[in-house]
Order: sequence, then C-alpha cells, then structure tokens
Amino acid sequence: MDFAAMQSTLYDHIMEARRREAADLLGEAIAGAGYEATLLSLLEPTLAMLGERWSSNALSLAQGFVAGKVAEDFLAMGAPVPGSPDARETVSREPLAGPARIAVIANAEDDYHAMGRSLVSTFLRLRGWQVEDMGCDVLAGDLVDRAVSVGACVVGISAMMLTTARNVLKVRAEIDARGLAGKLFLAVGGAVFRMRPELVTELGGDGTAETALDAPALFESFRLRSAGTGAASQAESAAP
Amino acid sequence: MERVGAVLGGTAPDRRPFTLTLSLYGSRLLGRSAADCFADPALYAAGQRAVTELCQPDVLFGPFALALEAEAFGSTLERFRDAPPVVRKPALKSTAGIDSLRIPDPATAPGLRFLVDSVAAVVADQGGTRPVAAPLAAPCDLPIMLAGMDGWLETLMFDPALAARWTALAVEHFVALASAYFAAGAAFVVTPVMLVNPSLVNPSLVDRLLLPILREAFSRLPGPVVFHHGGNRIAGILPLVADLPNVAGFVIDERDPFEAARAALGPGPLLLGNLSGPQCALRGAEDQERRVASILSDRKNDPRFIFATSGADVPWETDPRTLERLRRLLEAPS
Ligand code: B12
Repeated sequence: MDFAAMQSTLYDHIMEARRREAADLLGEAIAGAGYEATLLSLLEPTLAMLGERWSSNALSLAQGFVAGKVAEDFLAMGAPVPGSPDARETVSREPLAGPARIAVIANAEDDYHAMGRSLVSTFLRLRGWQVEDMGCDVLAGDLVDRAVSVGACVVGISAMMLTTARNVLKVRAEIDARGLAGKLFLAVGGAVFRMRPELVTELGGDGTAETALDAPALFESFRLRSAGTGAASQAESAAP
Repeated sequence: MERVGAVLGGTAPDRRPFTLTLSLYGSRLLGRSAADCFADPALYAAGQRAVTELCQPDVLFGPFALALEAEAFGSTLERFRDAPPVVRKPALKSTAGIDSLRIPDPATAPGLRFLVDSVAAVVADQGGTRPVAAPLAAPCDLPIMLAGMDGWLETLMFDPALAARWTALAVEHFVALASAYFAAGAAFVVTPVMLVNPSLVNPSLVDRLLLPILREAFSRLPGPVVFHHGGNRIAGILPLVADLPNVAGFVIDERDPFEAARAALGPGPLLLGNLSGPQCALRGAEDQERRVASILSDRKNDPRFIFATSGADVPWETDPRTLERLRRLLEAPS
C-alpha cells in the first residue's frame, strides 16, 4: 500500500472538508492493511501534518473540526471493546511503563462551550486514551472524585471565558487538598487560555496545548511525569 | 456628535474622537451586578451615564450581551455578577430542529425588548450629543448560540439545504433587530463577526458559504454597520470583506497593523481600534500610555480613524483610575 500517496490524499480531503471521501479512503486502507497499520501509517501521520499547520495558525478551526469528524469516523470503524459497546479498540501498543492512559475531561464549572472539549476527547481516544468525558459545567469536587475512581493521571479542563476559567482554581485546590499534586496533572485549555497564556499558571494549571491535536502530547508528557509515582493506586488510596 | 460627524465626513475634528467598550462597566460603576443591568433598560442607561461622567467617550454603546438574542429563541442563559451572560443550553440539540424555532419580535420578546429599550434610553439621555452604537450578533454566528458551534459548522459544511434555511432565519432576525435599533435612535449597529476569520473558517469556505450571508443581511439594513473583529486578527481578510454593503467602518484587533488595514480598505471606511479592551484590567499605566501614544501617532494623518478599544468589553475588575487616565491621554490636544 502506498501510504505516502494516501496520506497526501487524506490530507487534501480533510483540508477541503470532504469527510465522506476521507472515510472511504480509511475504509479501503483498513480492508487492505488492517486497522492498526491504517492508524499508524495513514491517519496519525496525516494528523501530525495537520497539527503542525494548526499550531502555526495555518489551519482553521473548521478544518480541525473536519479532522475530528474523520477521526471519529475512524474510531467507529474499530472493533468494539468487549463488554463496553461504546468504546473501541485503537491499537495493541507496546505495554506501558507507568500509569495507564486514563484521563477525565470536562468544561469548567459554569462553562458550556463543548466543542473544544469534544475535539480534545476525540484526539485523545485516537491515541489510545480512555477518556471519561464529564460534559459541561462540572464541579471541581466531582471532577477529582471521578479522576480518583477511574485511576486517571490527567484531568483536562476546557474554558472559553475568563469568568469560567477562574473556576480552574477550585480544581487546583481540590487536587492539592487531596495530596494528588504531581500524580494527577491538571491540563487546561480553551479560547481564553490562548488569548492569555499567563492564565495557565495563574489559575493553577500544569500546562496547556494550543490546539486539540496537540493535547495528546501534553497528556502523554503528564503521564510520563506521573509515571513511577503509582498515580492510580495512590490516587485511590488518597480518596476520602 | 460633531467630532464623530467630522470624521465621518472626512474633515478635521477638534481632537481625535475616542470610544471605549464600557457596556459591562456601567454596572461596575453603579455598584450593581451585570445580571441586573443587563435586564433593566433604566438601570443600563444609568450605567452609561456613569460611564459618560467618568470617561466622556465620543460614542456610547447599547448592551453588549449577544446571548440575549439567543434567549429570545429559547436558549437558556447563565448570568454573572461581573460578566455578560452566556448561553448555558442552546435552544436546540441539533440544527435539524430548526422547524420548532420562531423568529422573535423585537417589540415583544423580553430579551430583545430590553436591548432595544436600552438603546432608546441611552439615546434619550444623551439628547443627541453622542452617537450610540448598538451591538448584535452576526447572522453567520447566531446559529452557534442556538444549536452549538459543532452543529452549525457541520451543517454549514455538509448540509447546504439545511444551512440555507438557517441562513434565512438568521438574516431575518438580524434585519429585524437592527431595524428596531435604528428606530430606537442608534446611529449605527456594530457586529462582531467571528466565523469569517481564517483561524475559524478557511477563506475558501468563507467566500462560498459565509460572505453571501453577510452581503444579504447588510444590504437590507436601514443604516450603517460597523464590522468588529470579534477577538481575532482581521487585517488579512479585509480585502474579502471590504466591499460588503452598508459597512461604515471596521474595528481591528490589537495585533492588526493599521497601515495594512488602511491599504486593504482604501481611504473610505472608518478604522477603529486598537487598544485591547480585555487587557485594560492588567496593563500598567506606563504600558498603556505608550500604546495609546503609538496608536495616535500611527494614525496621525488618517482623517477617518476613531480611537477605540478592541476585543470584548473592558473587564469589570478594571480600576476606574485606569480609565480616567485613558480619558486624559485621549483628551489631550494632539
Ligand atoms: C466564536 C466566538 C464566539 C461565538 C460563539 C462561541 C461559542 N463557542 O459558543 C459567538 C459569536 C456566539 C460569541 C459570543 C460571545 N463571546 Co465570543 N468568541 C468567539 C471566538 C472568536 C472563538 C471561540 C471559539 O468558540 N473557538 C472554538 C473553540 C473550539 O476553540 P477553543 O475554545 O480555543 O478550543 C481549542 C483549543 O483551545 C483547544 N482546547 C480547548 N479546550 C481545551 C482543553 C484542554 C485541556 C486542552 C489541552 C486544549 C483545549 O482545543 C480546541 C480546538 O483546537 C473567541 C476569540 C478567539 N479568538 O478565540 C471569542 C471570545 C471567547 N468571546 C468572548 C466574549 C466576551 C463573548 C461574549 C460574552 C460577548 C458578549 N458580550 O456578548 C459572547 C458570549 C456568548 C455565549 N457564548 O453565550 C471573549 C472572551 C473574553 C474573556 N476575557 O472572557 C473572546 C475571547 C473574544 C475576545 N477576546 O474578546 N463568541
């Protein structure tokens, strides 16, 4: 299979919002080379090219959105995880060192701008993360409770406005109060953090990513920092 | 009024007219919550009187609370003490539900009546001394607040027939609300146009899908509209939007160079900007002073320029002394 040529075709489909053609191309590749090879040799490299453009502002949100839809279509073509009909197998990757790729994501308390969050969630899933998406307007305590109960090493919060971004401070306080700092990392993102990057540290975030396609790398860096600390089990034992 | 009139007519005013987006700030000056001020026209107008006393801006604003338009269609809102309202739950789960929407009448729908009556109240207070600008959502953006951002993008890109029905609805509402604003005495309407921006939608789609919406909506306005950048840079897209009908001027982003904007637009349209409103709460006095001086000197020879803040409202937590200082800087003879 000529993956290099297919990457460039897929790239063009996404840039020109040809979602159906993109899905057809991925379907053909799966039929010919299998799901995992298609992910690793076709979709991921194409998304990496798109991600570079997005980070340098040469990709629009609409194109990023199409990339997200194509990724969702691809996820839907994967085999269901036994016993969990909504989840899909992505890849049989090498065994992980450190905590599992489990993250909880939500919009901050009072924040209802779902789109950034759902794109982040899609791209994380594609990279093999189990994502617990709690939706909009989530209270700090509930978020950290869930992170602890599923053994997450990262919580991701999305906020579009300053007023709602301020509620990230409550999540920081909750993580610190339970002694989870350094084990459970706090990723933040959304329009207001892009406008005012200094807010990330001011509001207690451990880091941010400019675009949803950059989020998996950020989450992975947190997972590695959390590695060795036994985040999941300690988190559980730290639960009240 | 004469000062802005002079700029509009291309003659030299006694000094540079200026305006700061202080729609929200009125509530701070009154010591009332934004939620109260964005619900009661008399209170809103009182806030704008307090703004006038503090800053003497050459242009005042009606309520900058776009979410109230969505509420009139059935979206539910979250209201804040120190910020404009936002949509909590869009009226519809998906764009497919458009049939259940009715275009609200600005004369009777409570949120829209508040917007229009507030403009009328501010106009009456000013007694013709200052023009009043009335903000409203761009028709290409309104569906986001009614059916969600992803729903609208998906419809725009993948379902042209449904998108056309949404467009018709958004244009009707835009024209109805703008017309009510003009009838209430607004000198112009101002619309932040978000989606027509290369960071949100790529230019080929903008050209094909979004500009026709703006062209139709603007051509039906009974008065002038100011095109606001909405929080993104717009210098690069000005050539695309320069010839939209009825556009009196453009508010550009703080990061947009005036020179490039003027080159793209030609000498006709007004240029407004470009001190960041949202950053007013954060920047030190010297920094602000340097920025104001640099903007004024950059536009020294531009007869069709109005100094203005760019982006969203000046934040609630901004120290009033910062705004007084800005006023002194801007009132100083050039
Ligand atoms: C489009 C837009 C609108 C649209 C719709 C917004 C919506 N989604 O509902 C409309 C026109 C309706 C609108 C209205 C308003 N808006 Co507006 N809007 C914008 C704009 C241009 C883009 C925001 C957006 O939706 N982006 C799309 C999303 C998907 O992108 P994103 O949030 O950045 O997310 C990406 C990344 O950040 C990342 N990400 C997101 N979450 C996370 C989480 C994690 C963990 C990570 C790692 C990454 C990540 O992934 C995403 C994809 O790459 C911004 C300015 C800007 N340049 O960003 C202003 C902006 C957000 N708006 C603003 C304001 C003030 C308003 C209003 C209150 C104006 C008013 N006075 O009425 C209203 C509120 C209406 C409402 N929401 O109910 C301000 C906020 C200022 C502040 N200090 O809080 C901004 C910043 C503009 C500005 N500078 O003036 N707006």
